[in-house]
Amino acid sequence: MRSWRILRTGLASLVFRGRREADLDEELRFHVDRETERLVAAGAEPHEARHQALRAFGGIEVMKEECRDSRGTAFVDHLARDTRQAVRRLRRDWRFTLAAVLILGLGIGVNAAIFSVINAVLFRPQAIVNPDTLVDIYQNAPGGAPMGSSYAAYLDMAAYTDIFAGSTVTFIPHPVTYADGGPPRQAIAENTSASYLSVLGLSPALGRWFTEAEDALNAPPVAVLGYRAWTTRFASDPAVVGRIIRIDGMPVTVVGVGPANHAASMNFGAHTDFWMPLKTLVAFGAPPRMLDRDVAEAAFMVKARLRPGVTVAQAQAAMTALGSRLAREFPREDKKAGISVFASRDVRIHPQMDTVLAGFATALLAIVGLVLAIACSNLATLLLVRGAARVKEVSVRLAVGATRAQLVRHLLTESVLLALAGGAAGCVLAWWMMRWLSTLDLPVVVDFSLDFRVLGFALVLSFVTGILFGLAPALHSTRIELWQTLRDDGEVRASGHRRLSLKNSLVVFQVAVSVFLLAGTGLALQMVAAGRAQRLGYAVDGVAMLQTDARYVLNTPADQSRLFEQLLTRVKAIPGVQAAVLTRDLPMQVAGLPIAIDGAADGTTQDAGAASIWAGPGFFETLEIPILFGRGLDARDREGAPRAAVVNEGMARRYFGTANAVGRRFRIEPGDGQWMTIVGVARDTWTNDLGDIVDPVPYLFYRPVEQWNVMPTTVVARTTLGEGPLVRALQVELRRVHERLPVLTAKTMRQVLDDSLQVGQGMAAFFTGLGVLGLTLAGIGLYAVIAFAVARRSRDIGIRMALGAASQQVVWPVTREVAALVGVGTAVGLALWLVAVLVMRVAPVETSGVANIQLYQPRVDLLAMATIAAFTALVGLAAAYVPARRAARMDPLVALRHD
Amino acid sequence: MSDQTDLLQGTLDLLIMRTIALEPLHGWAIAHRIEQISGDLLRVQQGSLYPALHRLEHQGWITAEWGASDNNRRARFYSLTRAGRKQLTTELSKWERLSEGVNLVLQGT
Repeated sequence: MRSWRILRTGLASLVFRGRREADLDEELRFHVDRETERLVAAGAEPHEARHQALRAFGGIEVMKEECRDSRGTAFVDHLARDTRQAVRRLRRDWRFTLAAVLILGLGIGVNAAIFSVINAVLFRPQAIVNPDTLVDIYQNAPGGAPMGSSYAAYLDMAAYTDIFAGSTVTFIPHPVTYADGGPPRQAIAENTSASYLSVLGLSPALGRWFTEAEDALNAPPVAVLGYRAWTTRFASDPAVVGRIIRIDGMPVTVVGVGPANHAASMNFGAHTDFWMPLKTLVAFGAPPRMLDRDVAEAAFMVKARLRPGVTVAQAQAAMTALGSRLAREFPREDKKAGISVFASRDVRIHPQMDTVLAGFATALLAIVGLVLAIACSNLATLLLVRGAARVKEVSVRLAVGATRAQLVRHLLTESVLLALAGGAAGCVLAWWMMRWLSTLDLPVVVDFSLDFRVLGFALVLSFVTGILFGLAPALHSTRIELWQTLRDDGEVRASGHRRLSLKNSLVVFQVAVSVFLLAGTGLALQMVAAGRAQRLGYAVDGVAMLQTDARYVLNTPADQSRLFEQLLTRVKAIPGVQAAVLTRDLPMQVAGLPIAIDGAADGTTQDAGAASIWAGPGFFETLEIPILFGRGLDARDREGAPRAAVVNEGMARRYFGTANAVGRRFRIEPGDGQWMTIVGVARDTWTNDLGDIVDPVPYLFYRPVEQWNVMPTTVVARTTLGEGPLVRALQVELRRVHERLPVLTAKTMRQVLDDSLQVGQGMAAFFTGLGVLGLTLAGIGLYAVIAFAVARRSRDIGIRMALGAASQQVVWPVTREVAALVGVGTAVGLALWLVAVLVMRVAPVETSGVANIQLYQPRVDLLAMATIAAFTALVGLAAAYVPARRAARMDPLVALRHD
Repeated sequence: MSDQTDLLQGTLDLLIMRTIALEPLHGWAIAHRIEQISGDLLRVQQGSLYPALHRLEHQGWITAEWGASDNNRRARFYSLTRAGRKQLTTELSKWERLSEGVNLVLQGT
């Protein structure tokens, strides 16, 4: 109540300030007049009476101030006055203001941009009706970490209808291509049970969701458009409902449009374009086995709606019971690790992914936080320099009775204003960067828009920045010995030393952090270079590839197959082509699979893992991979013939104990149970992922597309006439085979490899951007400090020049100062970097349930360090150039008069 | 030191409230009335009168209105609010207890 009154009078005092002041004046004037009248009536002389009446008040202004204070509006009044004064001062020093706002804007902008990415991925809540009663259920991996559930286990969970009012299952979102009349485009599809939308408590924006009957093997495929896809890809056309489009080449009927406020089952900002029934996966080529009991076949995500009154703990108890029952009933398929239940609001993507992402986000914010630290310390430097230049003004104000607290308050108001303006500039910058980011053709469309969280983040950041980095300079510049500064020469030698050293350490800090960030660039480039230097072991020059999808033009597998045979024949006939092969995906693209090794002699099997590469007859000739033992894949390895495979030497040695493993058998486990017989051993090669430089020798096996009941998608060829023209020739031949066959990918092998370095290059660009930004800021700070030092020494310089010193002798101390600051900063930055490198080298391999993450072990790169040091020195020189030249060209006469 | 100030301040507040309890008065009249009634024993420091009035107004115990003075000029007239009346009663009984206590001590020695 009381605080409300204070707030109200405070606000009123702001709004009605003028009127209230006038009221106060009039009231006091009335009093004086009345008192004068009384005194005159008592016989005093009018003039003298008035004087006496006024005197009775004491200081009238002081009393007015007391009246204002007693109203509790003083704080607001002071704030308003301080703000007005600060604005006036900042407008007067517009150069300084502009520099400070730019510096802070860059720092806060980069932070807000990164934060808005993290916000989109980690913080934005999902639209779910009654999120309190929704749970996520996971079968655990051995060890107890939540993973995914098998489809059969989902059906068992769903049977607990006394606990769950409804349940739904989804499969991990995956990329598809689709065409609606025009050429195929990339999109993201997600398969769910028919109950999905009703369990979440949402309803379609248009049309309907798919039904139980449509979620069946052999049912004609239907799809619901994601709302975002409907508005951006289908122009919000309501007539799209009922239309037949093609997804991955298959005709699919659109039956509805999803809810506007729901993006995807996994809440990380990505938008699902097509929702399809779960079992449609099989129609699109997945093996029906994926719906079995063994979770290794396929992992599904389960959500369930609790019945009213049922708690998460009760659901967990029921699922624990189910877990033990499954372990008993299915000793072979079940991992016996139990089942975990989470409240859905505690999960964003997957409990394990969430942890990884949070760590990643923290690291990212810490890195961009360094840029903010540079910007802030930069602002502090500028404020210090400015404070030092204002020593006289401050001294005068102290002398006429201003308290130090008042001065500090003035200076703080100024820096908070600066920080807020910087924050606003930062938001504009962040908004602009986000707009640029969403124009990029990313495989996943994430909604990066700025919302209140981002704006709040920027606001808090600005305030903290303003106070934290305005306080030290404010305290500093008001700690003044009056008698010293008011002396005529106005120089502050005694306290000047300390202030300069704070400025110096700030500059050293800025240089050090920038160098550290640039060293991050060095690391990323080192990784890229290591990838490029990878001994590939297969042909790259002259190799090109083309990926298509025959399902877009022909419906039966036999027709599609014939089409590919025609294409292969035509490609082989292209002049200059030495060899060509039909395969799937990108050439040398790996997929990790669990396998079982046939013990042969002792009749046992051994569980293992290896990476599969799709191949076909002529694969090894096309990519010039030498066969060490046995043979490569050829025309014998066709559908119906015994399954054949070629393994690489590493895999042969690792799992079969000998390089010559020809004749031995292994199979994908779990799988269809059929063995693959090794017909040849190929020399070790690298994969097509140059960015993955951790695994020293990948265990690879090559299997022919034809024997696995899948359609080829890709033709790879090698020519003697240059791969560039070959890419074009491949497209021409594709059109000749069928004019409507879509070109999904057409690249040279070199481009495929380069694409795999994108992560490393992106990282390098990220660090370079931050490092250069940091160094630019540090350069501005350096410039300010040096310029100030030169200005402060101008009398000194003037005397020396008047006495005949050469300009080199004058410039030398300035140069020495720059060299010292930059040198120390660089040394500190590089030392920090060495520590980081050492830590990375001794860091253990981290094994989580999702992936084995091994940190890249960087080398200490002396050349990179020298480059960074040289670059930093260059920036230092550039920053010092202008002030040093001013010192060198100083006219002694002017300098001596310099105040 | 601060206790003394508080006491004096409180006393001034009490006097002001008591004075305007009968009829609304403007600042000058309040000061004058207090001096008159006290037989010029009490002098109101004019420098502290107006801050006190504004403070009391801010606390919600008195309220001010512009009105015409006896010589027909615009003046701010202060009057007690309902809360102010209650406050005055408590303050008065407090004051009586205080002065009673002080008297007892002074007469006892």
